Amino acid sequence: MGEQRKAVGRREFLRVAGGVGATLLSASALSGCGGDEDALTFFFQANPDETDGRMRVIEEFGRSHPEIRVRTVLSGPDPMQQMLTFCAGGKCPDVLMAWEQTYAGLADRGVLLDLNTMLDDDPDFAAELRAGSIAALYDTFTFEGGQYAFPEQWSGNFLFYNRKLFDEAGLAVPSRWDDAWTFAEFLDVGKALTQRDRSGEVVQWGFVDTWVPHYSAGLFAMNNGSEWTSPRTDPARSNFADDAFIEGVQFYADLANEHRVAPTPADQQSISAMDLFARGEAALALGGHWRYRTFSDADDLDFDITALPCGPKGTGARSNIGTTGLAISAASPRKAQAWEFLKFATGPAGQAVIAETGLFVPALDAAVRSGGFAEAHANVTNSGILTEGPAHSWPLPVTPAWARIDALMDRNMGPVLRGARPATSLANRLAPDADEVLRTR
Amino acid sequence: MTATDERAVEETSAPASPSPPRRSALARRQARAARIFIAPNLLAVAVFLVFPLGFSLYLSFQQWDLFGPIRFTGLGNFRRLLTADPLFTIALRNTIVFTLGTLLPTVAISLVVAAALNQRVRGIGFFRTVMFLPLAVSSVVMAVIWRFVFDTDNGPLNMILGWIGLGPVPWLVDPNWAMVSVCLVSTWKSIPFATVVLLAAMQGVPEDLYEAAKIDGAGGIRRFVSITLPLIRGALSFVFVISIINSVQAFDQIYVLTGGRGGPETGTYVFGIMIFQNAFAFGDAGYASAIAWLIFLVLLSLTGAQLWFSRRNATEQ
Repeated sequence: MGEQRKAVGRREFLRVAGGVGATLLSASALSGCGGDEDALTFFFQANPDETDGRMRVIEEFGRSHPEIRVRTVLSGPDPMQQMLTFCAGGKCPDVLMAWEQTYAGLADRGVLLDLNTMLDDDPDFAAELRAGSIAALYDTFTFEGGQYAFPEQWSGNFLFYNRKLFDEAGLAVPSRWDDAWTFAEFLDVGKALTQRDRSGEVVQWGFVDTWVPHYSAGLFAMNNGSEWTSPRTDPARSNFADDAFIEGVQFYADLANEHRVAPTPADQQSISAMDLFARGEAALALGGHWRYRTFSDADDLDFDITALPCGPKGTGARSNIGTTGLAISAASPRKAQAWEFLKFATGPAGQAVIAETGLFVPALDAAVRSGGFAEAHANVTNSGILTEGPAHSWPLPVTPAWARIDALMDRNMGPVLRGARPATSLANRLAPDADEVLRTR
Repeated sequence: MTATDERAVEETSAPASPSPPRRSALARRQARAARIFIAPNLLAVAVFLVFPLGFSLYLSFQQWDLFGPIRFTGLGNFRRLLTADPLFTIALRNTIVFTLGTLLPTVAISLVVAAALNQRVRGIGFFRTVMFLPLAVSSVVMAVIWRFVFDTDNGPLNMILGWIGLGPVPWLVDPNWAMVSVCLVSTWKSIPFATVVLLAAMQGVPEDLYEAAKIDGAGGIRRFVSITLPLIRGALSFVFVISIINSVQAFDQIYVLTGGRGGPETGTYVFGIMIFQNAFAFGDAGYASAIAWLIFLVLLSLTGAQLWFSRRNATEQ
């Protein structure tokens, strides 16, 4: 009797276990992507402050196109890696955010659709887009004859400054790109606005950097008259060995290591540059418009914007042509819907929404100069820094080999930015390696 | 009929019929059931282990950017790795430094800790639990916490150093210190497992040997060196090989502590990071596979050498 009960129990147990397993399996299969299969997937990266603005654009699109549902896919810290794995695995989102420096790697692999194929079928929109676009941004996404994304914003870098701290010190800043200040003037201001307590610890920094340090160093080199590579798209050689480039990088590194007007890499381990500026503990902060919302939401922060300084070999203050755009996956089964989304987000309607939200500096000239954009930036006195930004920008390299160049820049500029090596070391280390990568890509 | 009778009948009928009908049906049923039970696991092994292994071996002889056509390059990837990639020597050097920097302290500390935990003292259970806690923590969580500990200005480690008059150490900022930091974390993570293995081996050492040695006047250290160490040689050798394999395969804690580029600069650029970077940052799957297979061959040789030494020692004994 006991044996029989045991045997039945085992069978029943197995049957129940099998049933539970099958139920779980079918439930997980159903709860996978099945419920949202028809939606247009939109992959983008945004900090928390930007996400709200982007969702507003998506909501506005939903109102004008109720038949198209958009499912957002928010990127992690490394969007390029995420896009590569998504698309290589056959799950490429329909609409992809594109960055000026990394899109070429995807375009070269055939991941992105050449949007000229869609423009050819939509001549009215094509004419409207070409007439209203800021050429420097639009052309950034032109690679090997194809148009792989439409720009949605200018995301070049400039300086945020704390108006209160400058006023208290009786210092002024340039209000336009054309009124450039020099490296020397910039350093003097940095020194004047860096304050220490009795123990010598810095309580207020003259300058902080919220961008990527080795890119920022390159931006100072750009302001000393040196572009990073030649030519701009699919470059054949780098300019990292040029005297102007080296001097610009050295000036940037010295701000932290020699003059102590900016936090060193060690300082930045525990200090958020954004927090320093938002709390009023830094006078100047390098960054792009993507920091604008964070700073404008900060309590008791009275800030404005200004141009970067110009080096002794420079020809004027420069920003970089930073731009993000929107692209369509070449493998997307929903190209028509994706095209409608692109037309909205990068066309007059979506750009007007972007202008009003203050999310980005729009990529269409009319939207940048619209009342909505001005209203969204009412506290900015030097609005010319934004509206004239693209015209005063130099391009960053566009090459499928960018990931390798980026890794080389990070590796070789690290010791320079730590003060362990002079910037002249870039001529023998970074430049030949970068040239080799560009030559053999 | 008794059970013995049944067996006798089966045995006598065996020559005429090699598989008696009743038993054969049962055996077949059992075999079928076994196959059904094994099938899901076998399928999982085939899909998630055998296929990726085979595919990565195939890819190591190809050039593939994850999207375009796969192009055969023969030994090109291996040639490029061994002769044309300056990062290979950096990764090799860093991997060796990391392996030694983890292995030696792990073995030394584990031996001491296992010997201490092998004592019969009050409250030893509590200390054993505390000692084995790192084994239960995920590598990523562990690395995130250590990142906070290593902070140059506000990290607890530098604060403690400050109390004893030592200046702040740039743990994760300076390339050399960054390697020390990752070795420290890896050692901390490896000690519990090594200790478990060594403690188990120590508990298998016959007590009477120690008693005999005590009677002969041998001290604690002498007993450890002359009795414990020789008798746990097998476990020690196992710990060596496992620690080397773990160190050479290290990736997650280095990725979280110092980033996906093995920074600062190339301070912590080990093979695990090199594979990841080439596969997922540069999209060069063939080259990444070649690196992985080269590491596999090195580890296979090391394991083979360890087995050969153990067998030779066993024969000599």
